Amino acid sequence: MNIDFGFVIPYLPILFKAAGMTIIITVLSQAIGTVLGFFFALARMSNIPVLRGVVWTYVLIFRGTPMLLHLFYIYYAAPAVGITLEPFTAAIVAMSLSTTAYNCEILRAGLQAVPRGQIEAAQAVGMTWPRILRTIVIPQALRVIIVPYMTNFISHTKGSSLASVITVPELMLTAQMIYSSTYRAIEILTAAGAIYLILTSALSMVQLWLERWLRYDERGLSRRRRRQLLLIERHG
Amino acid sequence: MAEAPMIEVAGLTKRFGESVQALAGIDLTVQPGEVVCLIGPSGSGKSTLLRSINFLEVPSGGLVRVAGKRVGFREGEGRERRLGGRELAAQRAEIGMVFQLFQLWPHKSALENVILGLVEVRGMALADAARIGHELMAKVDLAEKMDAFPEHLSGGQRQRVAIARALAMRPKVMLFDEPTSALDPELVGEVLAVMEKVAAEGMTMVVATHEMGFARRVSHRVVFMDQGRIVEQGPPEQIFGNPQSERLKRFLDRVLV
Repeated sequence: MNIDFGFVIPYLPILFKAAGMTIIITVLSQAIGTVLGFFFALARMSNIPVLRGVVWTYVLIFRGTPMLLHLFYIYYAAPAVGITLEPFTAAIVAMSLSTTAYNCEILRAGLQAVPRGQIEAAQAVGMTWPRILRTIVIPQALRVIIVPYMTNFISHTKGSSLASVITVPELMLTAQMIYSSTYRAIEILTAAGAIYLILTSALSMVQLWLERWLRYDERGLSRRRRRQLLLIERHG
Repeated sequence: MAEAPMIEVAGLTKRFGESVQALAGIDLTVQPGEVVCLIGPSGSGKSTLLRSINFLEVPSGGLVRVAGKRVGFREGEGRERRLGGRELAAQRAEIGMVFQLFQLWPHKSALENVILGLVEVRGMALADAARIGHELMAKVDLAEKMDAFPEHLSGGQRQRVAIARALAMRPKVMLFDEPTSALDPELVGEVLAVMEKVAAEGMTMVVATHEMGFARRVSHRVVFMDQGRIVEQGPPEQIFGNPQSERLKRFLDRVLV
């Protein structure tokens, strides 16, 4: 059989639509996993032993078992105890549970990288803990977090292809369905691979941009900020 | 002095774990406007004492009062209770602290470091806080460096920003935890000069230091600590000119060479 990439063109709209589903399940579960991961990280750092233990066990289990298994569990095993979910919902739940475990550890590493003395300096001027977290700890932790966080995000994007096994119409499942009826595996898989690469490249770009944005000391204060701080004239 | 003391430390003890007794019963009273220097070998408890005054260390026993108010605890009704986060923060806002390693926030410019407390803790409008920040930066002789980030400042400049940051809160007391120990020798003078200026304005100051010249010149009283206790205290001329205890004599022999 000769290879003809022109064959892919009529299928592109379907593939793009499927890529849209990949984006939705990835971004949605990553968003949930970031929020949960953040609170889990705080819990993991708290001085309540039970809380720390619960989160530690959570991470042990969900980082230590395959996401594929989480997907099967939520979709095929949960109905046995009376919980039946749509494929989409099941995918979001399973993927969130999985990425939460990674994000928890990534965010914790970042938060704990902020030196104790930085926090003490904020305590010494009279800031309360939530304020210290917001103005001192998180901004500094971001620098540490960004690389592992985006690495996990990219890994999670590729991992979303596993949702195909519970019939979520995302990119991988759609590609499979097209080539199993047309036998054009090379063309379709290459196209799907290219789309994955575009998505992950976009995330790599975001990472580059974030890393640059976080080099605040090289960039200096913005004009707007200088004006607010009365460092330049209002109309200067 | 008939006034009520600004700082009152009574029977203060601090243990770290089973074996380390950092403070073994400290009694110290500091009057308003008084400058007290804490001297003594490393590990004598100077830092722990300072850090206990604003409750960065939780004392194992004894009490601390600043401006008549018990630090870290609520008194009365029989049992004492630890203060909540908000109340403790409000107390700390009244107590300025300068750290050995500066601890400027690296993601904020010098001016932002100085005014962050005013904006976040006092809820002041940015422009008003900025005006105060400008004055303080001028006071510590860094008007040219207001938009510089800590990364780009020398150690001496960083420490002066840190002093301005503490002063911005208009504290009743300033605590200095070995403020020049991490500095290159040629940068020590500029920081001490600022501290002297603050002292001259009548600020109540407690300074843990190895700068004997500063202690002799600026302080009203020198407190010599060793092994978590106050061994000897008095006016600088007495401490340096006529030390009473063997331990102080040995210490001075070693540091004043």
